[in-house]
Amino acid sequence: MSDFSEELVRPTTEDEQGETCVLSGTGMCFPWLQKHIETVATGGKREKDFAQTTSACLSFIQEALLKHQWQQAAEYMHSYLQILEDSDSNKRQGAPEIIWRLGSEILYYHPKSSLETFNTFADRMKNIGVMNYLKISLQHALYLLHHGLLEDANRNLSQAETWRYGEKSSSKEVLINLIQAYKGLLQYYTWSKKKMELSQLDEDDYAYNTASQNMLNHSWKTSINLCALIQIPGVWDPFVKSYVEMLEFYGDQDGAREVLTNYAYDEKFPSNPNAHIYLYGFLKRERAPREKLISVLKLSIEKNMILHRKKEEHHKLGLEVLFGVLDFAGCTKNITAWKYLAKYLRQTLMGSHLAWVQEEWNSRKNWWPRFHFSYFWAKSDWKDDKTLACEKALVAGILLGKGCRYFRYVKKQDHQVLQKKIKQMKKSVKKYSIVNPGL
Amino acid sequence: MDFPSSLPPSLFMTGPLGLSDVPDVSFMCSWRDALTLPESPPQASENGAPHLAKGLLWEPDTPGPLPLLPPGPDPWDPGLTARDLLFRGGYHFRRQPRAVLDVTEQLSQFLWDHGDIAFAPLGKLMLENFKLEGAQALYFLIHFCPWAYLSYRQRRFSILGGPVLATSLARLLGELLHEELAARWEQLLLDDAFTGGALAWVPGRMPGAGQLVYPAGGALDRLSRGPDFQKVSLTPGSEPRVLGDPGHIQLRGPVRQVVTRTVQGEGKAHRHLRPLLTDLLPDHNPDLLCPSALLAVRSDYHCALWKVGKPGQPAPLQVLQVEKGATGISLSPHLPGELTVCSRSGAVCLWNPQDGPSPPHGWPVSPRLRQVYKDPETLVFRDPSPWRWADFTAHPRVLTVGDRTGVKLVDTQGPPGCGLLLFRGGAEASCQKGERVLLTQYLGDCSPESLQPTFHLVCTQFSLYLVDERLPLVPLLKWNHGLSSTPVVAQLLPPPRPGCPRPLLLAGQAGELQLLHITGEGASTPRLAGPPQSLPSRSNSLSAFPLLEPKSQWRLQERLSAPTIGLAATVLPSASTPVLSLFQLSAAGDVFHQRLHLQADPRPDSPAPTASWTPRATSRCSRWLKTLLEVPLTPPMWAAPTFSHRRLLGSFESREVEGKVPEGLRTAMAEGRLLQHRDLGLLPTREQPPAPEPGPEDELSERLEAAWEGQVAAWWERRQGGSSGPGKQPKRHKRRTQLSSTFSSLSGRLDLSDATSPPRSPDRTVPEARPQPPVTPPSQELTQGPWAEGIPSERQQTLRDYMAELPLQGDTPGGASAPSSQTSSIRGTSSRQQTLRDCTVKLQLRGDTAGGASMPSSQTSSVRATLSRQQAAILSGSQPLRKKPRMGF
Repeated sequence: MSDFSEELVRPTTEDEQGETCVLSGTGMCFPWLQKHIETVATGGKREKDFAQTTSACLSFIQEALLKHQWQQAAEYMHSYLQILEDSDSNKRQGAPEIIWRLGSEILYYHPKSSLETFNTFADRMKNIGVMNYLKISLQHALYLLHHGLLEDANRNLSQAETWRYGEKSSSKEVLINLIQAYKGLLQYYTWSKKKMELSQLDEDDYAYNTASQNMLNHSWKTSINLCALIQIPGVWDPFVKSYVEMLEFYGDQDGAREVLTNYAYDEKFPSNPNAHIYLYGFLKRERAPREKLISVLKLSIEKNMILHRKKEEHHKLGLEVLFGVLDFAGCTKNITAWKYLAKYLRQTLMGSHLAWVQEEWNSRKNWWPRFHFSYFWAKSDWKDDKTLACEKALVAGILLGKGCRYFRYVKKQDHQVLQKKIKQMKKSVKKYSIVNPGL
Repeated sequence: MDFPSSLPPSLFMTGPLGLSDVPDVSFMCSWRDALTLPESPPQASENGAPHLAKGLLWEPDTPGPLPLLPPGPDPWDPGLTARDLLFRGGYHFRRQPRAVLDVTEQLSQFLWDHGDIAFAPLGKLMLENFKLEGAQALYFLIHFCPWAYLSYRQRRFSILGGPVLATSLARLLGELLHEELAARWEQLLLDDAFTGGALAWVPGRMPGAGQLVYPAGGALDRLSRGPDFQKVSLTPGSEPRVLGDPGHIQLRGPVRQVVTRTVQGEGKAHRHLRPLLTDLLPDHNPDLLCPSALLAVRSDYHCALWKVGKPGQPAPLQVLQVEKGATGISLSPHLPGELTVCSRSGAVCLWNPQDGPSPPHGWPVSPRLRQVYKDPETLVFRDPSPWRWADFTAHPRVLTVGDRTGVKLVDTQGPPGCGLLLFRGGAEASCQKGERVLLTQYLGDCSPESLQPTFHLVCTQFSLYLVDERLPLVPLLKWNHGLSSTPVVAQLLPPPRPGCPRPLLLAGQAGELQLLHITGEGASTPRLAGPPQSLPSRSNSLSAFPLLEPKSQWRLQERLSAPTIGLAATVLPSASTPVLSLFQLSAAGDVFHQRLHLQADPRPDSPAPTASWTPRATSRCSRWLKTLLEVPLTPPMWAAPTFSHRRLLGSFESREVEGKVPEGLRTAMAEGRLLQHRDLGLLPTREQPPAPEPGPEDELSERLEAAWEGQVAAWWERRQGGSSGPGKQPKRHKRRTQLSSTFSSLSGRLDLSDATSPPRSPDRTVPEARPQPPVTPPSQELTQGPWAEGIPSERQQTLRDYMAELPLQGDTPGGASAPSSQTSSIRGTSSRQQTLRDCTVKLQLRGDTAGGASMPSSQTSSVRATLSRQQAAILSGSQPLRKKPRMGF
């Protein structure tokens, strides 16, 4: 480690990859190509002895890790550290990352490892091959966070935040933003704890003022830390949530709305359902008009419940949403959806809007019977949830007519409690079924 | 279907593969994944133990999997390896080694062995362009021969036509050869035929019983093949029991993929369909069979669907022909009997064989097919691979369509081609340079209560990704699997215990197996629970087999390391510890079984107990091995015709033999043995110790010989039986006397009608480790023998031409050249047996013309050296010309 500057020469990525995989003519990379080539090569210059030994050692470590032999892996790791003395500068530069990755994994699972060992290891690794300082700091902080050591984690992040080395690069920038955001999150934890304490205090109390002042300070620092990261495209659910909560607490509704709208609708961000849920939650808290809420919600049952409270013109949209929800395999047993669908169908048909139902049903009539209304499902639903079976039977009867297997099966069942319901169901089916047996 | 209320933070960056500037902070190692941020501020806990199941470990009962069924009766050939294709010499170590396909060695060998095949068609092709007078003469000239330099006419032609023919040859052959070799090499690097796996487990009515469905029958590229219906009964406490003989269906193509799914619907039997295929054996154990399951099978150009009904007899439903070749088939988890089929043309079809009535007679030929997607181009960037894959999603009308570059969600009801990318090979998933999708799978097919039904698995050669279809492009989990071969199969299993993480198995083609524990109940994001573990592979079982002689040992080793082409697993819930039953299918057609149990009491401090072989296991392995060694080796695809010139020697036999020296030399040459001093009439410098003459009771050499033949077990049994059977030794004596008598009785007649020996009979499969001199049949048979029929007449003519030149040698000035040049020519061709034989002929002639002049001592010694080298080569078993050609042209 004497020649510090040489270490900082950024290794070319191509060379790094060359160690493990080779590109073929199609541009595809095969990690196992090297193995094939080695079985053939007999003459010529071979890899250096030390390089061969280190790669063997690396594979021993990986094998031991996959067999959960932590003790053995640690012993191999002890030898592997020699790679830091490799005369090949490319190898030497790639080594710290591998050592950190494997070493932290071993220490995480090793039965005899302790917090102190991990801390020592992390601190050492941060300074060997400074390129990884930020990454290791961040992971170290997360490790501490998960062990409940919030203060230590915070200190770690603060140190990392102020670390500067070499040229500015976009990846470094993002990492520093991440570190700041995690720091902000830690501050948010303290803030929300204080908020809880505050809510238990009397407003006239002297302590209240100090506490609220304290909180304000905290929140100011926190928002600075959080707002930089959430501008960068990504999934930042925990950060956005806490940031918005703080903004709302201090009455900055516009700021919160802007953050959420940006998070949900910025095209550079991935389409994250949570972003819409957060925005919806915010608008609901804000008592925004229904139309706005409906537009935010993409597909959910809650949307339907809002629609339900509205007038007839929303019935069409409601039907659409309910049919859409019940298309999904994970929602087949959602009793709320079935209940609403049955209700809607009845109401829509009562209002003689048969076309609305037909429109939805046409694209589904060739697969819904097998998907929802098979004999198997009738039996299994009746066994598991009789109320669900009744709701489904009603829908099946309306959509498929009296002859439908599901309907017939449920109809035949003799149940004391549900007798009235089944009778009602039969009546409804007779009255509203879209299938006309006469035709 | 709740969405996780808070997703783990991750950076989202669009861009191409290998955008190195993206800090890949979110997925570094397995524990990092456990560190998703806590929902609420974490309570400072005293012990600081994170909520991670540290001791989650499936322990194998034995150190390796055991063979479940005896090996099939068909021989298995491991096929091409990198050694056969890659350039051997001149390897330079570089940071990025490059694979160079080898043609020099192989091609020269091929041309040497099959000159007629290599060159005769060229001659025939070119003949049409030769409209000269006397084209008939050219006809023979064009036939190249490895020994063309012997003929003036041919040499002249060679000089004349060399530049032209060499370029056209190089162009014609070169292109085709390169194409073929490159294709083979690509296939060796990445064989996607078995993606998805060809082994399936059909669960029975009882939890421990079921059927294994897999292709059987040795080499999987042979035409007749059938998926077997092997009934297996599993009990948590003991090894699986195999019940009865497997039924099988004979198919007309190799099976590449087998998919099954239990049908939870109406058990309407399709009795009106009669089986098209032959050999449908009825099953006899109806009580153990599954209620009803569908069985989809993909072959190279056909896909078929069966229904395994209540009586257990699979009823064929429909067959689909895929002209461009099928790459993937999957069965819908939602609608029974609905399938997706992908073709190399880039089309994805939805197939509903059960829709509507079938034609009353015969096999339905027009399946209800609907093309839902077609794009010959790849999704994200251009990749030459025609591999496509399709699977289902949580929405029964939405499919995933995948290729090497990404995975797309396609709505089958929407306008064609619409959809959005679910996974993109690029910076979004922080993919590396050169990373490609090798396997994709929908994971929401079983027990939706423990994991969301919206997850998809995407495997590349480096990593494994878990993607939620509600959050496209952002993988929720990424793990570097580090497999050293193509991932072939992945299987998500139900949780072994309620509340336990679900095991996810991943199998690499080289036999590696990995098990990941995936958790993510309710509204939490999926993550790895505990570190992934590797499971024993088939080659770990080598220690269970008895030690064998090297040849058989190598055969066993090769068999055990045959590529994995199928994986099936089932969890047996039992009162104490859940048991995982794991079946593997290898390309050699072997089914291996391994039992694992969940570590009952995870104590991290105690070292994991190591499994050991039970006597039952080793005896099972021994029995399996015995059957395996009885299977004959693969017969060679095509044996090279070998040219024997020995018979021609007879023509010179009539000449007057003068002196002891030529006689001794000739005998030594004829017998192919070491030339000794006494043969040349010289006084031996010292007395040679008498060579141990192997008598009929020589046990060691007999045993060694049997071992070379691979028949040592049979030899041992013979020994045990007390009767020493007819040994090899007396036989060889006899053969040798026969040979010498042949030589003495040979007349001076030169009959060239059958100058070539017959092709080696294919049943003579065991390669001769100690090659004997080509047996010369008695002179009576030297006429147009029955085995000369296989030789093309023009070939015979060529040989006649070329042999006709031979007697002239003695008269030419070159023939009477200085002995030193002759000597050097002998020395230069020491390794070429053929050439040596030619030289022998020349020597003979020279001796005659020189009028019995004794050989100069220098020449004698060089001849001896040549001969001894020759013999040494023979004894060491390396006979370059007899080597089996490995390229199956």
